[in-house]
Amino acid sequence: MILATDLDPRAKLFFVLVISSLAVFLQNTFLLLLVFIVCLGAVAATGGSLGNMLKKFRKFFGIFIAVVLLQSIFTQQGQAILQLGDITLLTDFGLIRGMQTILRFLIIIASALVMTTSNSREIIQGLVQWKIPFEIAFMVSIAIRFLPLLREEATDMLTAIQLRGVNLKKIPLLKRIKMYSYLLLPLISSVMVKAQELSVAMEMRAFRAYPQRTSLRVLQLGRADYLVMVLCTLFFLTVMVLYLMLI
Amino acid sequence: MIKLNNVSFAYEKNKMILRNIHLAIEAGTCTVLVGPNGGGKTTIGKLMAGILKPSVGDVMVNELDTRTAELAEIGKKIGYLFQDPQRQLFAPTVREEIAFVMELQGVPSDQIDIRVERYLDKFQLKALENSFPFQLSRGEKQRLAIAAIMVNNPVFYILDEPTTGLDYERKKVLSAVIERLREEGIGMVIISHDQAFVKRHAQRVITVSGGELLDDTSN
Ligand SMILES: Nc1ncnc2c1ncn2[C@@H]1O[C@H](COP(=O)(O)OP(=O)(O)O)[C@@H](O)[C@H]1O
Ligand SMILES: [Mg+2]
Repeated sequence: MILATDLDPRAKLFFVLVISSLAVFLQNTFLLLLVFIVCLGAVAATGGSLGNMLKKFRKFFGIFIAVVLLQSIFTQQGQAILQLGDITLLTDFGLIRGMQTILRFLIIIASALVMTTSNSREIIQGLVQWKIPFEIAFMVSIAIRFLPLLREEATDMLTAIQLRGVNLKKIPLLKRIKMYSYLLLPLISSVMVKAQELSVAMEMRAFRAYPQRTSLRVLQLGRADYLVMVLCTLFFLTVMVLYLMLI
Repeated sequence: MIKLNNVSFAYEKNKMILRNIHLAIEAGTCTVLVGPNGGGKTTIGKLMAGILKPSVGDVMVNELDTRTAELAEIGKKIGYLFQDPQRQLFAPTVREEIAFVMELQGVPSDQIDIRVERYLDKFQLKALENSFPFQLSRGEKQRLAIAAIMVNNPVFYILDEPTTGLDYERKKVLSAVIERLREEGIGMVIISHDQAFVKRHAQRVITVSGGELLDDTSN
């Protein structure tokens, strides 16, 4: 068995690119479903936890319902399934569109979760060895690293505001908007401050002092990595051929 | 006032930070938590305020179980000062920071003004009244955060390292404020490394280390 943690970040990146381009490109529900299942299979086969992932997916159920309803009400195509007086609430077209949208979401998220098994240092190194400028690779990795911090900060602030005796569920809409603007302000400020501090810290450690960077650790693609990439390519080609044959 | 019954807590699975904590804090008393960094003091404080929910056991604030109670409900009784005051400052000006919860609760504006003035004075923030809280110094943020909590009149306080960043004078002011609250019969839990501060206010000192209560002394 090949574990995701043992794979080269570039192999994983390749996997994510292939799978997510398929997700964006395909317009066929069955093929999307196939890609989704294969993606889940790949995650499970490389030691990921499907249980955890499915738990995360539960949150998307609401979005799914919303997309289906919106597509049904506003496009007014296809056969009506549910009607309320003159208004068509649910159509088969809407249902299919909704399924496709949500499948795309899930595929992209599931494939991206594979990346979280690499640490950010490895990902930068992978990108750099793909000839992407270090500065850009570094920016990407910082963005990834700061996201959870930002989330933590936001939840902390929500907690703090509630602890001051404000019941979020009970305040009227207008005041609520004002309150959310209160939350946005410090979040943005804190991002700016962090960015400033980080840039100073990097200057102090002579970031970009020399144009040529060397790396202590150089990534080497192994047999498993090539295998993964070949499988991805084959899968991509197969699905594309199927898709072109179907239309 | 606050009761921890056989509480264990883990941030991540299988990494218990606190183990089997039993602790009862009486209303109107002043308890100080001391102990090394990373010992679990902040975690205990957050459990007491319902910010964190226990993994095992339960935490009661008066009759409220923190697992089910609304945070706002607890917040009306307990004033919590975060170790990092940044986390509890939101408003665009110092003045609004103190006023906005009262505004949300529909307190009449002349009332609000009176109370805001009182707290601006008490914590020597009058000169900063129109500054952006985010750009204040650490000590100023600390004072503002405390003022913003006090204006709600909670009956109990949890203060996580309230003296950090305060100079000698400001510490004396804070000490005096705490003394006054104590005379009014308001209880608190203070987390502090400040020996002088601990000596001055503590009726009960609990040492927290490695996720356990090592020592519990009342004077
Ligand atoms: N959000 C968190 N996620 C994971 N571990 C944490 C988190 N916050 C604190 N810890 C860990 O919990 C332990 C106790 O921390 P804390 O309660 O903040 O200690 P103290 O306040 O006594 O310095 C530390 O080992 C710390 O690393
Ligand atoms: Mg602490």
